[in-house]
Amino acid sequence: MPGAVEIENFSYTYPDGTIALSDISLKISPGERMALIGPNGAGKSTLLLAMAGFLKGGGRVVIDGKQVTGRNKKEIRTAIGCVLQNPDEQLFMPTLFDDVAFGPLNMGLVGRQLTSRVEDVLRTVGLSQMAQKAPHHLSAGQKRAAAIATVLAMSPAILAMDEPDSHLDPRSRKGLVELLAGLDQTLVIATCNMNFAAQLCSRAVVMDKGRVVADGRAGEIMTDSELMLNHGLEVAGSLNV
Amino acid sequence: MHHAYIDKFAYQDSPVHRLDSRIKLMVLVIFTALVISVPRYSLSILACYAVGPFAVLVIGGIPMRFALKHIVIVSPFILVLAFSCVFYGRAPVVVEFGPFTVHTTTGWFQCFNILSKFVVTMLALIALVSTTRFAELLKGLEKLHVPKLLVVQLGFLYRYIFVLIDSVHHILRARAGRKLRYLGAKAEFKTAGAMVGSLLIRSINTAERVSMAMQARGFDGTFRTYSKMHIAAGDYLFCAAAGCFLLLIHIIIRPALI
Repeated sequence: MPGAVEIENFSYTYPDGTIALSDISLKISPGERMALIGPNGAGKSTLLLAMAGFLKGGGRVVIDGKQVTGRNKKEIRTAIGCVLQNPDEQLFMPTLFDDVAFGPLNMGLVGRQLTSRVEDVLRTVGLSQMAQKAPHHLSAGQKRAAAIATVLAMSPAILAMDEPDSHLDPRSRKGLVELLAGLDQTLVIATCNMNFAAQLCSRAVVMDKGRVVADGRAGEIMTDSELMLNHGLEVAGSLNV
Repeated sequence: MHHAYIDKFAYQDSPVHRLDSRIKLMVLVIFTALVISVPRYSLSILACYAVGPFAVLVIGGIPMRFALKHIVIVSPFILVLAFSCVFYGRAPVVVEFGPFTVHTTTGWFQCFNILSKFVVTMLALIALVSTTRFAELLKGLEKLHVPKLLVVQLGFLYRYIFVLIDSVHHILRARAGRKLRYLGAKAEFKTAGAMVGSLLIRSINTAERVSMAMQARGFDGTFRTYSKMHIAAGDYLFCAAAGCFLLLIHIIIRPALI
């Protein structure tokens, strides 16, 4: 069965010579929810960018059956939705409606098809009443949900999120968990928060110094205190997997 | 962090808030052109023009204090220009207000003319931005065929100016937390330079990530936007009222007062 994401021997070095990713191989099945955990600087965000075709390195990345090349970026970015860490960078249009419509417009959607897509997605994330609001008038939790909506509007098969729980209070984090738990997409969540990852993901991949150091069931990985502490992480407090 | 948004009253509801932004923009441009065309020694006619924006502000429920505060904020630029007239327009003029006679100069007339034009046009501008959401204003500009690049730049400016102001506040707070005494001019300048540099690098990084977010959603260099605007009966009514008001001043009152 072809994977939603297949990465084979992928390596990437920053222009200043820093090795960011080293010989990464991963296969993520369709519908799987995978947490990419690791300390700061482990290469989690870089790997997400590589999946979305922003970085050209050695090795092979296949998204939804299509190998990432310089020529098929549009197809790749329709298949994988990338949610950045800071929603202020994801929400750049004057209103939430315009922001959510930005992706579908670039996909060629117009008229009624476009408006119903935007309205459906805003309803899914619970922001229907905020459509005409400017992003700077939204709360942190609403901004996060809005950032996810901008990507969901493109109906991607895979959702890659970089630290989606950062700067959220417990209530907003709970809302985010409920939102993400209700999605059908393949989820790849890069995070340092083990409890958040444990609530959503069945699989965990631990990264450190640009390498995959462990890969397995989230429940087992996140309760392995030796593994967690060796890589600057903490054991999840309450596992729900 | 809370900011003093210029369009904070634009989310209210009133007959002027419901008007199409294109109509309001066009009326503003014509109004401003007419106000600017008032001869430099005329003053009383400008009071007649002020009735227009004043009425819009009242109907829109915009507090006059808010409008005047914003006029004061931007006034230093125009004050320099206006008061410079006093120094080169020295021809004597005698003005009669009923029983009172005032001896002044043409320079003072020009000065008050510039200040009055500034206040009237600023009132009109504040009336526009306080009764129109910025996004609607951008869509109106786009529909009026203002170059898309300019409209997009305005949109980004409005979106990120507050993010930038937040960054400035954070940097200033971080400095205030550690700077316990005056360090001397040289060290102060050095610190200020480092802060500006840090802000520049943050801005460049933000711009890079915004560009990445745009590309991730299929942006290929062509900025596509969705806008659905329609002219309603209220817009025609406003157009007619504004037209009558401007014609009345221009054809009847203006020749009598100038």
